[in-house]
Amino acid sequence: MFKAIVSASTLQDALDSVSVLVDECKIRLNEEALSIRAVDPANVGMVDLTLEAAAFESYEADGGVIGVNLARLEDIAGMANSGDLIHLELDEETRKLHIETDGLSYTLALIDPDSIRQEPDIPDLDLPAEIVVEGAQLDRGVKAADMVSDHIRLRVDETAETFLIEAEGDTDDVDLELAREDLIALTAGSADSLFSLDYLKDMNKAIPGDAEVTVELGEEFPVKLHYGFGEGLGHVTYMLAPRIQSD
Amino acid sequence: MRLDEYLEFETNERAERRRLAREKDYGILDHLDSFERRFEAEVSDDAVVGSVSPSIFVGRSDYPNVSTGLLSPVGREERAASFRTSGAWYDEGVSIADVFERRTSLLNANRGVDVNDAGIGGEPGVHDAWDGWLGVQREVAIADRPVDVEIGLDGTPDLDFEVGVEDVKTPTGPRAAARDASLGENPHVPRPVKKTLEDDDWRAEGAMTYLYRRGFDVYAINTILSAGALGRGEDRRLVPTRWSITAVDDTVGTYLRGSIRDAPSIDRIEVHRNEYLGNAFWVVLVPGNWEYELVELKAPGSIWNPDPDAGVYLAAASEGREGRTGYVEETAGAYYAARLGVLEHLHERGRQAKVLVCRHVSDDYWGPVGVWQVREAVRNAFAGEHGTAETFGEAVRGVTEHLPISLGRLRRKSTMAAGLQANLADFAGRDE
Repeated sequence: MFKAIVSASTLQDALDSVSVLVDECKIRLNEEALSIRAVDPANVGMVDLTLEAAAFESYEADGGVIGVNLARLEDIAGMANSGDLIHLELDEETRKLHIETDGLSYTLALIDPDSIRQEPDIPDLDLPAEIVVEGAQLDRGVKAADMVSDHIRLRVDETAETFLIEAEGDTDDVDLELAREDLIALTAGSADSLFSLDYLKDMNKAIPGDAEVTVELGEEFPVKLHYGFGEGLGHVTYMLAPRIQSD
Repeated sequence: MRLDEYLEFETNERAERRRLAREKDYGILDHLDSFERRFEAEVSDDAVVGSVSPSIFVGRSDYPNVSTGLLSPVGREERAASFRTSGAWYDEGVSIADVFERRTSLLNANRGVDVNDAGIGGEPGVHDAWDGWLGVQREVAIADRPVDVEIGLDGTPDLDFEVGVEDVKTPTGPRAAARDASLGENPHVPRPVKKTLEDDDWRAEGAMTYLYRRGFDVYAINTILSAGALGRGEDRRLVPTRWSITAVDDTVGTYLRGSIRDAPSIDRIEVHRNEYLGNAFWVVLVPGNWEYELVELKAPGSIWNPDPDAGVYLAAASEGREGRTGYVEETAGAYYAARLGVLEHLHERGRQAKVLVCRHVSDDYWGPVGVWQVREAVRNAFAGEHGTAETFGEAVRGVTEHLPISLGRLRRKSTMAAGLQANLADFAGRDE
């Protein structure tokens, strides 16, 4: 059983954060929250999303799992204006999701969840540095890096207590240095890792500019990016494996 | 690094190439003179050439109005098959001058055609695809040996030759406008080619892969694709030769990449090397999931970087396990040609790997002979011994010692040299 009403913008933000990594996913419809966990086919980037029941206008679920084609669902959600409400109801008999918004109704055929790639286990990482930064700042760094290179270095200078976003291109360099006062919070620790911009750009696209993003970072370790949306009732964690420099 | 043990630069060969390069202009002019003499002897008064045609050429300038031509070795019919670009050229060890000689030995008798006119279900065109000029051209393209043809010419050929600066295309020889053409025999067409030709409900990608799996090399497939003989009926078009070469390398490569997607990784780092026609190729295979990059270094004084005082020109393009989403802006057709050579090797071994290919174009490479040179040099890089290294960093340092750039510059340009993509499973159950 699943029946919910949610604002179009909240649903769109939730779907966007997952669709940057995968085309299809399983959605867990638990009593207290809707959740999605997915990893891209190369097992390089992962997303873990929770949307609490309180983020919905109304929410009833009893623990089912459905499989969806994200692009389709995004298209339908995109038909609503951001202030509109979207009604969702699962038809258990036909295994279809009925979606209604402002007089428009759509019946979405679901995908057998067993045919979708298994949800990943989240590696349990204890990362030494933690930076809290505005989404807009991260966006500046990623965009600038993309002008010169296809990989990006994120690191913390422990003595200067700064967070650095750097990129080296064939001829040009980009450096964005964020001092403690430019950041919301900083726990300095030894952290220096290189990442593919292909992935980070996509993740960055889904992060709202006004979101507070918590970046957990280590030495040649995956980065974790957490942020909230939907008035703090939606939570996304991204995890991205690094590119490893070899000596 | 144990690279040097198996590497010996063949200094004599290099000196010989330099000599050839210095003489290039005279050599080509000689070829054209002898072509002209043969042409006068062979062509009848009504300007009809009786010859054999081993292949076709579809030009791309002014697309979709393309020039489409039958290639024929006027007066040198006995060598027709050897004038057709193929992997055999590498085995024969043809030189740059040989390539120019072969290409300038083929008369390109051509007509202008709108590519859409060759479609079966497209707009009704002046040319019917099954007879007339396009019909003859299609028969030549699908036949597996040179076909007897008679070509009516409109005027005398333009005995110029064209050397493009683009990597993909082979140099082209004399051209003449054609009136018409007819077949002098019923061409021999291999059964699988008939099958793809007759099935007009088969997407071009699938048909290309089918032909490849049936043992056709990419050279034959791109000629067939070029003639508009593959794909769903309404989608069939003449495809400019240059585009068809890259389309086939990409399509077959994508098929091969899929075939090793879940294959086990190689166990150790391997460094393979080959050198051909002034191009050195270093192929570094590293254990892990498929990842590929081509880095090209073009020496000052080489064809694309002619200023002797300019620095080394660098270009690079790469893909991860899922392939590329964007167009290859740098390295162009060479990217797909080298990738094909690498994937064929991995497919044969049933293994996957991370692959960094460095192509060093020296100033010996005075004329672009076509992207087949890249494909064949990489295909043949895996024969014989190879170097090993303990770490990828060691392998890259070792390769860089033989390249005219610093490790730092390579790391700036090359995504893989900067760092290899790890995956999340590498960190499962690990703690910092």
